[in-house]
Amino acid sequence: MTSSPSFWVQSIVRTICLGGLVGAVSIGLAADAPPKVEKAAKKATVIANAPKPMAPGAKLSPAELAKRIDGHVGALLSQDNFVPSPQCSDAEFCRRVHLDLTGKIPTAQEALSFLEDKSPTKRETLVDKLLASKGYARHMADLWQALMMPPSIENRRLEAEPLVKWLEKAFSENKHWDDLTREVLTASGPQDQNGATTYFLANSSLDKLTDSVCKLFMGVQLQCAQCHNHPFNPQWKQDDYWHTAAFFIKVKAQPPRNNKDTRVPTVAENNQPPNKKLLPESTKKLPPKFPAGEKPTLAAKEPYRPAFAKWITADANPFFAKAAVNRVWAQMFGRGLVHPIDDIQDGNPPSHPGLFEDLAAQFKANHYDLHHLLKSICLSETYQRTSKPYQGNEKASSHYLARMPVKVLSPEQMFDSLSDLFTPAAASPAPSQDVAKADKTETKADKKAEKKANKIPAKPGSAQRNQFLAFFRGEDGADQTEYQSGIPQVLRLMNSPQLNSPAILRNLDPRASASANIDTLFLAILGRKPTQAEAAKMRELVVKADKPMDKRQAYADICWVLLNTSEFALNH
Amino acid sequence: MLSQLLSCGFSRRDALRLATSGALGASLSGWMPVLAKATASAPSPAAKRKSCILLYMDGGPSHIDTFDPKPGAETGGEFSVIDTSAPGIQISEHLPEIAKQMDKITLLRGMSTAEGAHPRAKHLIHTGYREGVGGLSYPSMGAIASAEIGNPNLPIPNFVAVGRSQGAGFLGAKHAPLVVNDPTKGVENLRPLVSAGQFDKRYDLLGQMESAFLKDYQANQGADHKTTYQRAVEMIRSQEAQAFDLSKESSETKAKYGSGRFAQGCLLARRLVEAGVAFVEVNLGGWDTHENNFERVKNLSGQIDKPMAALLADLKDRGMLDSTLVIWMGDFGRTPKINARGEKPGRDHYPRAWTSLMAGAGLKGGRVIGKTDEKGGTVIENPISAVDFMGGVCQVLGIDSSKWYQTPIGRPIRVVDKSAKPIPGLI
Repeated sequence: MTSSPSFWVQSIVRTICLGGLVGAVSIGLAADAPPKVEKAAKKATVIANAPKPMAPGAKLSPAELAKRIDGHVGALLSQDNFVPSPQCSDAEFCRRVHLDLTGKIPTAQEALSFLEDKSPTKRETLVDKLLASKGYARHMADLWQALMMPPSIENRRLEAEPLVKWLEKAFSENKHWDDLTREVLTASGPQDQNGATTYFLANSSLDKLTDSVCKLFMGVQLQCAQCHNHPFNPQWKQDDYWHTAAFFIKVKAQPPRNNKDTRVPTVAENNQPPNKKLLPESTKKLPPKFPAGEKPTLAAKEPYRPAFAKWITADANPFFAKAAVNRVWAQMFGRGLVHPIDDIQDGNPPSHPGLFEDLAAQFKANHYDLHHLLKSICLSETYQRTSKPYQGNEKASSHYLARMPVKVLSPEQMFDSLSDLFTPAAASPAPSQDVAKADKTETKADKKAEKKANKIPAKPGSAQRNQFLAFFRGEDGADQTEYQSGIPQVLRLMNSPQLNSPAILRNLDPRASASANIDTLFLAILGRKPTQAEAAKMRELVVKADKPMDKRQAYADICWVLLNTSEFALNH
Repeated sequence: MLSQLLSCGFSRRDALRLATSGALGASLSGWMPVLAKATASAPSPAAKRKSCILLYMDGGPSHIDTFDPKPGAETGGEFSVIDTSAPGIQISEHLPEIAKQMDKITLLRGMSTAEGAHPRAKHLIHTGYREGVGGLSYPSMGAIASAEIGNPNLPIPNFVAVGRSQGAGFLGAKHAPLVVNDPTKGVENLRPLVSAGQFDKRYDLLGQMESAFLKDYQANQGADHKTTYQRAVEMIRSQEAQAFDLSKESSETKAKYGSGRFAQGCLLARRLVEAGVAFVEVNLGGWDTHENNFERVKNLSGQIDKPMAALLADLKDRGMLDSTLVIWMGDFGRTPKINARGEKPGRDHYPRAWTSLMAGAGLKGGRVIGKTDEKGGTVIENPISAVDFMGGVCQVLGIDSSKWYQTPIGRPIRVVDKSAKPIPGLI
């Protein structure tokens, strides 16, 4: 018996996607042994002509750090003879940075005013504006809520809103990442008074919590060591797992037990370790000790979590800054410098080792300032490259960043973008002259129709949003560069009445010129104006129609087409 | 080349990846051994593809009051027993039509599983793995069947669920169930909102936009998007999609299956399997009979009796029974002990001993594997764990349970855990 061909292909394709150059991966064919992945062959590559190490204590501005990013990425490209793609167009940049920082596409107005802005520094201005926006805080809170509260049956009664609110406030203040982490890891009290406690309520068993803390804040997968020494990473022993878990053993988190449970969910750190029955069967009772680190002196009656929070956020911690930097990098480029993002270990080296060190060092030097890190990335030529291939660089695997990797809109990004298009206020047409007049002549019937058809409320956490997310959620752990939708999902996009009556369409003025209306639809949905060929083709549809009804139909056709394109479904 | 790949077990996505990575142009000589291997291990086309219909009793049916009756036991309950078409096998009096089909059925009376809470039990019995172990999300039987024995060229999904089901886990959206909530309405959003002619125009215009974008960007994700749309539109326009339309059945056939959502679900399942779908799950809820067990089980038995019997007879008549596995099972069984907490007596969750049923797919019928004690509380012969059961299902369907899946976290997982023991005498 052999492994099936599709397994073979997947593994080999994956290797090639990973570059195939970093190391050989061999797949075992024996029926009863797991395929062996030879990790030893994977070693960090030394990149010729990479920027020289920074002076100790250097503190770079975002523009300076952006240059270093480009230096490192450029060195690997030229070492392997790949030509980078040129910088992206304003329209590409505007849509991309909106999706990456605020989780939704720009409105027609936002896109148009950016395109018409003549300032040479408008890209930087836009980045600053978005980082300071409510949309940024909401999007970051959304991303972290999903990570901190994994969707599971146990969590179905637990409210996400207190956590979302807490995170939104923290991100809108640009709370330093170390402070935020410390506050989360030591959170106590009732959930309605401290939203950060939700993290413990959502991971109320000791093993889940330990896995999550290691993954989210250290970028390491310790979970394999729960039952045995880590198979790929000799650094992690089973004892490390239970030493780490011991810091959380006294936490008492009481999520709601059933629908009748009306107590406010509360987290407390008790003096006593809990009843054995509440611990996972495999629990090894060991004293608290930092993973791969020392054993702190802790009095039995003293809380353990503050000591752990202090250790994890210390500048000397080898994991903390790297884990954050890698996650942020993945948010912007679709995958981490280390991939998978939560598997930072010697056997899984970063694509650009020097860059990884520099980013982590600068994140520390700038006091774990997420705005600084995100802005540095956004200002880099690397981030601002078009995703179109150039001079054969489509052959370069995506980790080279020869062109901007194409990402797939997450269900959240898709819903929030659609919800703007469906909300009458946000979907008002771009302020071109002839359309502006139309606003005043809106009839009562139009307003009524709008109210009725506006079935996609934007509120995060709304039942409709959750239902949409559940329906569109892809494979667990898939990265943003993988297309996840299946037939039921695209059937819904094509044919569901709820997704086919956008306000943007109803707001069009039938008396405005066809070109103006077509521009509005393109700007609202794709964030750009149509090409000449596209404009001509679309205009023909509208002009051919004599009756107002038929014109409406023609606009509906155009709208349907744009909403179902790859260009809309992807962040390119 | 593409169709060759598809026919030998490559998924469309794999093939797509190969195509987009240039491998199909034979530019990489290193691919050739892989392709050769694939061709060599592909099943011969003569082997008949098997399908599966899972009738899932949501909530956990009382085994004692259905297929493992204990007449005479103090806790045997209110029902009497009847003989069946298989000599020596008796079942509840409220399943007279199924009794007539017993010659086609294997009763597995030794089910003994490890989870007693609904969500975890449903997960375990659908996947063969305990929920959340190793931080993974596991694929259910239907998703595995879709991936392993589904016809990749079928214009409709290979896993259809009438009502609730478990998802595809790490196998992803491609193998996720297409959920039909109301069998009389068929697939959601299958009909375009505009006329067929108008839809064709739209789709044509979309195609032009797509070509321009794909040419400019050469993005795999764009190619995946386009392929998924092609498949969906193929389904919209396909003959096979008519399988979802129950109105195409004769009133005579409909009458045989009876009325109600479950009956319609069974009929839909037969239509889908006939159209080539690999796995159909039909869910019937209400079996969580902590209170008023006897009245409710009698009523629920009435809901399954006629449709399930009609399904088996219909499959047989159409020559489909030998290639279709029919499974009846639930979350777990129910306690021998009759509780008196509510107004009317009930039975509680009981994973330690219960009954499931298999029929068709070449299995011998009219037999019982496994045995419980005089109260139905302990398995005393041939216990079957959830993993064993999963292994048995794979064996019957011709799925290689020793195959390894590469999971997103990099940990390889077997289709069925290697602790699975064969079900004695099943095949």
